[in-house]
Amino acid sequence: MFRNLLFPALASLAFVSCENRSDVEIANEENILIIGNSNEPKGLDPHLVSGVLESNIIRALFEGLCVEDPAKDSTSLPGAALTWAPSDDFTEWIFNLNPEAKWSDGVPVTAVDFVFSYKRLLSPDPNWPAEYSEMLYFLKNGEAYNRSHFGHILCGNDPDFPLDWETLKKANFEGERSLKLENFVGKKFSDLKEIDLKKLKPYLKEDETIDLAKITAEKVDLKNLSETEKRIFCNAKGIDKLSKEQLQSLKSDSSLVTWTDVVPEEVRQIVLDRLIAHHEAGKPNLWEEAQVGVTAVDDFTLKITLRGPVPFLPEITKHYTWYPVPKHIVLRYGKINTAFSSQWTRPGNLVSNGPFKLKTWRTNHFLEVEKNPHYWDRDQVDLNGIRYLPIKNYYTETRMFGDGQLHMTYTVPSELIPMAKKKYPDQLRQEPYVGVRFIRVNTRKEPLNNPNFRRALATSIDQKAICEKILLGGQKPASGIVPPFGEYKVPGLIQFDPEKARALLKESGYSTDSKFSEIKLLTTNSESGLREAEALQEMWKQQLGIKVRIVQREWTTYLQKQYDADYDLCVAGWIGDYLDPTTFLEMWVADGGNNNTGWGSKEFENLLTKAENTADVAARMDVLSQAEKTILADTPVLPIYWYTTNYLIRPEVKNWNPLLLNNHPFKFVKIEK
Amino acid sequence: MSSSATVQNSEPAAIEKGSSLWTDAFVRLKKNKLAVLGGIIVIVILFLCFIVAPIMSMAGMKANDQDLANRFAGIGEKGVLGTDQLGRDLFMRVLEGGQISLLVAFLATMMTVTIGVIYGGVAGYIGGRIGNIMMRIVDGLLAMPFLIIVILFREIITGRIDIVARFLVNEWSWDNDTVTRFANLIPLTIAIAGFGWLSMARIVRSSAASLSKQEFVEAARSLGLSHRRILFRHMLPNMLGPVIIYATLTIPSFILYEATLSFIGLGIEPPNSSWGKLIMEGANFLETNVIVLAIPAVMFSLTLFAFNFLGDGLRDALDPKASKD
Repeated sequence: MFRNLLFPALASLAFVSCENRSDVEIANEENILIIGNSNEPKGLDPHLVSGVLESNIIRALFEGLCVEDPAKDSTSLPGAALTWAPSDDFTEWIFNLNPEAKWSDGVPVTAVDFVFSYKRLLSPDPNWPAEYSEMLYFLKNGEAYNRSHFGHILCGNDPDFPLDWETLKKANFEGERSLKLENFVGKKFSDLKEIDLKKLKPYLKEDETIDLAKITAEKVDLKNLSETEKRIFCNAKGIDKLSKEQLQSLKSDSSLVTWTDVVPEEVRQIVLDRLIAHHEAGKPNLWEEAQVGVTAVDDFTLKITLRGPVPFLPEITKHYTWYPVPKHIVLRYGKINTAFSSQWTRPGNLVSNGPFKLKTWRTNHFLEVEKNPHYWDRDQVDLNGIRYLPIKNYYTETRMFGDGQLHMTYTVPSELIPMAKKKYPDQLRQEPYVGVRFIRVNTRKEPLNNPNFRRALATSIDQKAICEKILLGGQKPASGIVPPFGEYKVPGLIQFDPEKARALLKESGYSTDSKFSEIKLLTTNSESGLREAEALQEMWKQQLGIKVRIVQREWTTYLQKQYDADYDLCVAGWIGDYLDPTTFLEMWVADGGNNNTGWGSKEFENLLTKAENTADVAARMDVLSQAEKTILADTPVLPIYWYTTNYLIRPEVKNWNPLLLNNHPFKFVKIEK
Repeated sequence: MSSSATVQNSEPAAIEKGSSLWTDAFVRLKKNKLAVLGGIIVIVILFLCFIVAPIMSMAGMKANDQDLANRFAGIGEKGVLGTDQLGRDLFMRVLEGGQISLLVAFLATMMTVTIGVIYGGVAGYIGGRIGNIMMRIVDGLLAMPFLIIVILFREIITGRIDIVARFLVNEWSWDNDTVTRFANLIPLTIAIAGFGWLSMARIVRSSAASLSKQEFVEAARSLGLSHRRILFRHMLPNMLGPVIIYATLTIPSFILYEATLSFIGLGIEPPNSSWGKLIMEGANFLETNVIVLAIPAVMFSLTLFAFNFLGDGLRDALDPKASKD
């Protein structure tokens, strides 16, 4: 009787003591890592996401050809591929896949899966919402396929074509970048502003007016248009984007689109014929025609052909855009380019090839992954699982860490760094991160079109004060765009020098006496963004007497304003996707989608092309460094600082070492008991 | 007889001095301790923001001057109340922020009263179908989300204000900082008032509708007075009670609106401050430097309380029947 009573009493005691243990202690016993992950992931399809928080989960679930070394940057360990070898000029790579590598349902990972994945990410369907297709533009013809460059695919890839592609390329295939028809939708010609009129001027005869409604209509019939309207429409669209009917009417007068003079009329007709034939055939297997540079030689041999020499290809394959997706599962739940509506990433359906597989995903609670029993290197994996908590508020996150609910935080906001330094001196990590904070300058506007003026702005930013007094996260003053890493020599051209800045300002001829502040600094509506902007504003006012106004906009408007070049100065950031300077430099080519400054330089682009064709690593870095110098000399961007990551981590988590890209491989992480 | 004698003997009774509605109300208001306290607080805060702050500013204590070497200086270490996250004088920022918050609230209230009284008065006086239509328009506008209207107003107005501001600075060489600071306030005020007059119009309409049926209005009408004269000379003084009460109560709610807008980044342009903005910025330092949050928050709540007490007191004083006790 007594014993009967005693037992439940003891049991309840044990239960109570259990309750008193923190989440982390329980997780330590179960060998599960708990991570703060900032927000609910947008999705788990590696092709459809672009955020850091999604990449944290995808890195645990999937595995690329190569795997990041847990302690050393720029070192690649075997992943889905056992061995790999480049050709002499680094344009062709053979990856020998691991025959042991399996999806988490036991099906082997083959080269076909990789080809399928790359075809999927590069899908030219305009409704395909992938944000990161550019990462595969390294592949030969990857860009042409993704952006439906029919001209290139049909003529440029044909070795028997009567004219070489380099010459033909100068014809207007892509449409004129400055002439966007979307800008004219719903407007009347008489109401157009000066800036819009300027773009149309070259096509207009004197005092000529055109009907904007006609050329912006959904379906445009060239027959109904005037000569000038035809010319504007065709040049704005480019040959690649014209429909079959439009191409047919173009045949009667091919000069409506800009061609280079060396393209004779017969060749123009051939190009148009090929495009029309292509449209008539209903776009049959564009992938085959495009000859994108990835092929499955056999089940376990993948051949990758690149657009130029890429000696650092293994680095790139560690990025999640290069991960494979399971062909058999994706096709079971939809077509190759069924996007968010596809069920293949749901728990229970998702099949992955990485060290972990998806266990549970409870929206706004947590997402948990567990060890993948079919993973080829399962003996190496120590953790039984990882639990990701979507904690939006960083203050809450820091508090939860203090309460023992997390092994690791996503970040530490700069306001809390002094507190964290005091309270958790051993747990706070401040590590370099390849990213740069800078200000875009709209070089089309007065007085920002003057390089001396821009240089004056750049050299009057007290970068050190911003890093040490405001950010406190160990950020480094940026003397250029590319952060220091590996063998790259930072040119170091931009330094805080108020004397020189004042001299440069004088040279630029800009007078500061009692003028209405016209220059506006665009930033996001985040608190840290505001502090930084206010500090910059004060520095320019004190050092140069230039009064700048701050405009805060919410994130999507902020991005749109940059894209539309509707800004003067704009604070922005850029995080490297892989460890090579090109990830920071390529965006500044004149027609780069992320340039948005209106700046462009032939010299810079030539240097980039030269670097692309230089196989020798040291020489290549020199050329890239020179390319950066040409940007900094003209200063269309004002560098502010190089990023760091700040986070809290519990001491029992082992094998978590500083990595420049912050892409920590979870398979090596251990919890010490 | 005797009684009549006493009447005759006594001094002729002084005709009791008629006391107006306003004197009565003031006497009643003075008896309400909370309302008096509220009034005093309002006066003190107005004095600090609009008299002390400009004097100190002229004496060289600028609210926007940064000193990154002295961030988060404590009380008395630098300035009166220390410095904020960019080393700016917190005391000056709170007072100058108060200027903006209070100015927006007062100006918006004045606009609200003007538009609301005219619109609501006309709707109530005319009544019938036209009055109904006028009030349904108000209902329709009220149904629209506040934020969207405000953003719309701001986008439309800001560009135009800039043209005026540019002219003042470039042609008349006014001080750029002052002009931009106050130019900023106008779109904010118009946006808030553009929404705020709707409730005022409703209140005025209801009292105008009931007044228009009363005998003295009938009398005025039978005298052949013009509609305008009846409305503004005869009815308006009788409606003033609820209008004043409502106006006092809208001031704190407008300060709150301004704070809301600033809090989500639609308010005053940086580096200028307002209370809402200071509170928003300070909220980030809740765990590390609570003073940056506490001072504007205390000033803000104090003002809200004071205006609410004053408003309550005015309601009790002007309209004793409506009082709960």
